[in-house]
Amino acid sequence: MSVVLFFGVSTQAASAQKRFSRTYPATKNVRLQLLNRSGTITVEGWDRPEISISAYLEAPSAALVPQSLSGTIVMDLVKENQGRNVGNVNFQIRVPRSSVVDIETRIGNLSVTNISGGLVRAIVTTDGDITLTNIYAAAVDAQNGIGDIFFDGEIRNGGQYRFTSMKGNINLRIPFESSFRLVATAPSTRNIDLGPFRSENMRFVSTGRQVVGQAGQGTSNLTVTNQRGAISFIRR
Amino acid sequence: MTCNECQENISLFLDNELSVEVSASIQTHLSLCVECAKVCEDFAVILDSCRLDPAAEPLPPNSQALWCRINNIIESEVKAEVKTPEKPKGWFAGGFTFSQAASAVVGIAVISSLLTVIGVRNYFEPTGEDYTSRSAATQTTFEKVLSKVGLMETPQQARTKRFEEQEAAIDYWDKRVQSRRAQWDAHMRDAFDRNLNEIDQAVTEYTQILEKDPQDDLSGEMLDSALNEKMNLLRAFSEL
Repeated sequence: MSVVLFFGVSTQAASAQKRFSRTYPATKNVRLQLLNRSGTITVEGWDRPEISISAYLEAPSAALVPQSLSGTIVMDLVKENQGRNVGNVNFQIRVPRSSVVDIETRIGNLSVTNISGGLVRAIVTTDGDITLTNIYAAAVDAQNGIGDIFFDGEIRNGGQYRFTSMKGNINLRIPFESSFRLVATAPSTRNIDLGPFRSENMRFVSTGRQVVGQAGQGTSNLTVTNQRGAISFIRR
Repeated sequence: MTCNECQENISLFLDNELSVEVSASIQTHLSLCVECAKVCEDFAVILDSCRLDPAAEPLPPNSQALWCRINNIIESEVKAEVKTPEKPKGWFAGGFTFSQAASAVVGIAVISSLLTVIGVRNYFEPTGEDYTSRSAATQTTFEKVLSKVGLMETPQQARTKRFEEQEAAIDYWDKRVQSRRAQWDAHMRDAFDRNLNEIDQAVTEYTQILEKDPQDDLSGEMLDSALNEKMNLLRAFSEL
């Protein structure tokens, strides 16, 4: 009886979900701009000149209306669903590798892979992990509330890189020959592991709560702040 | 495109009144310049707020008392005018009619309320060059001399002033959140409360350190950052 009931409920839940799927032609420097209320977002770079968007909507009534505006694909689920409980909307998106990726969610995990465009911006307002792998972007901005941040990529000359968390671990996996000026701050835990970048050019200040220094020629800026968590550097 | 050119055109850009070429170059600039993107976002918030029903906005403090005072002034002036049909003196002697003066008072009250609301909405983080975010160690000798003779705020005074401004903005967004909170689901409420609690713990921690050691610039910076986080969290959830 309970098995029958379980399958009945599962089938109902599955059928209640709605799938959204759409593809847009895209130029090399296309910009993806997505603001989600709740749910995971996975963005992957590929070699096709198009953007493919798949979304799974927990509530079929959730409004999702992508707009294509002169080289930018915009989706704003906060504005489109204001004052409504629409549950999770989970995205799987593919974009050209050289795209600008700007994604944000109030709750949920974000994952970006294989991107080498001008900017990767990934923001989680509250709970959620941020995973950025194979990133070669000139600017990266990752911020979350409670959750881990993992960056695996390269630091480009003249680039700007910022990682900010309230509570969680920030792990940065970058090549040993990277060139950057660093300000890393972990005031509560004082747990900053420089790994391969520990050298006389890096110094702990403010009773071990902050590390300031330079790796290589210091041609880019790297700012890492973890209010109540740890920071670690790993050799790539 | 430079930051100045971009910021001059942001309003027209948001109104879709620019050519496709200029819009595209602004978009490219916004994707690379975090500062201009922030300005653009703030402009968009202001535009949104202008489109909102004014009744849905939280009223300025003591608005009822303000309107009562205006009403009392109007009523007392009307009575005085009925009793003594002489020419008005003082303010009204210069040719202002009573209705003009009353309209001016009401106009000033409405404009100041609007400016307060827009000012709080438009409040955003200072840039790295902001004096309030600087430490005593980075003050020039000239600045130190000016601070000592009282002609210039010390970094601590500037910081305290900034914290007060941040608290005012936080109060504003908190009221908006409280009015919308009932519409969120339990999952949303839990995540919000958990994160707000983390930020409040950090704020308490830095405040305690600063009480013991007001010269601790790093704690000052971190407190500033935590208050900004709190403001951003409240602002983001007030839109849900």
